Amino acid sequence: MKKTMTDYELIDGFVKGDQSCFETLIQRYKSKVFAYISLYIRDQALAEDLFQDTFLKVIQSVKTGKYYDNGKFISWVMRIAHNLIIDHFRRVKQLNTVSNDDYESDLFNSKKLAEANVEDHMIKRQIQKDIRKLISQLPDDQREVVILRHYSGLSFKEIADITDVSINTALGRMRYALINMRKMMEEKKISLTFN
Amino acid sequence: MIKPMGLTSTQLISYHDIQVDEIDIYDDAWGFYQEFSDVFSLLDQVRPEPGKQLTKRLIERVRQQN
Repeated sequence: MKKTMTDYELIDGFVKGDQSCFETLIQRYKSKVFAYISLYIRDQALAEDLFQDTFLKVIQSVKTGKYYDNGKFISWVMRIAHNLIIDHFRRVKQLNTVSNDDYESDLFNSKKLAEANVEDHMIKRQIQKDIRKLISQLPDDQREVVILRHYSGLSFKEIADITDVSINTALGRMRYALINMRKMMEEKKISLTFN
Repeated sequence: MIKPMGLTSTQLISYHDIQVDEIDIYDDAWGFYQEFSDVFSLLDQVRPEPGKQLTKRLIERVRQQN
């Protein structure tokens, strides 16, 4: 029943006291939000914290009447995630600490690997690791557009709104990101070695 | 004598019939998916998902807040 409700109906239900409405929203958007944060932030523990903080901040804002529905709930949520990430990097910069660039563990829930043998599994994991590394080597602004577009499924209009740039700039960043990705793929000879 | 061109054989659709809800027209216009299909294929190998435990923890925190 709730699965067919619109975002607005769910928020309205939540404000009126139906807790499960917000849980439905979490289930609906958790992958998009998590993909954005976890590909942007390489520290897994930190990414998980920011993922939770994003939804908690959403609740705070909804409860204090700061959300006005314009049919773009997920864009608004992603903007909150974006701001939390920016805040984090500001804090890190102030503290003059080093980011977790050497973070290496594989964070991905692989696609159905149950039937794959161990060797295939290892190859896939290695490829996923390599891809994540490629993404992380993109300049911040390009990386963000790729993640928001490809993994979070936002439109360029929404990405432009979230990142405070024009649509053309967002499109340009996407193009540069893809060109750079391809260049890195060629340099590092990364290709799909399995189907 | 001018002959009719037989255009009636093609059913034309109106502007409003064009379904664009799930299409990003900018993306479409720039043709990223055609031009960089190799890069997207690679990106598709990665699909970060929050684990069940993480989702559970989040829902518990949400419940505590209320």
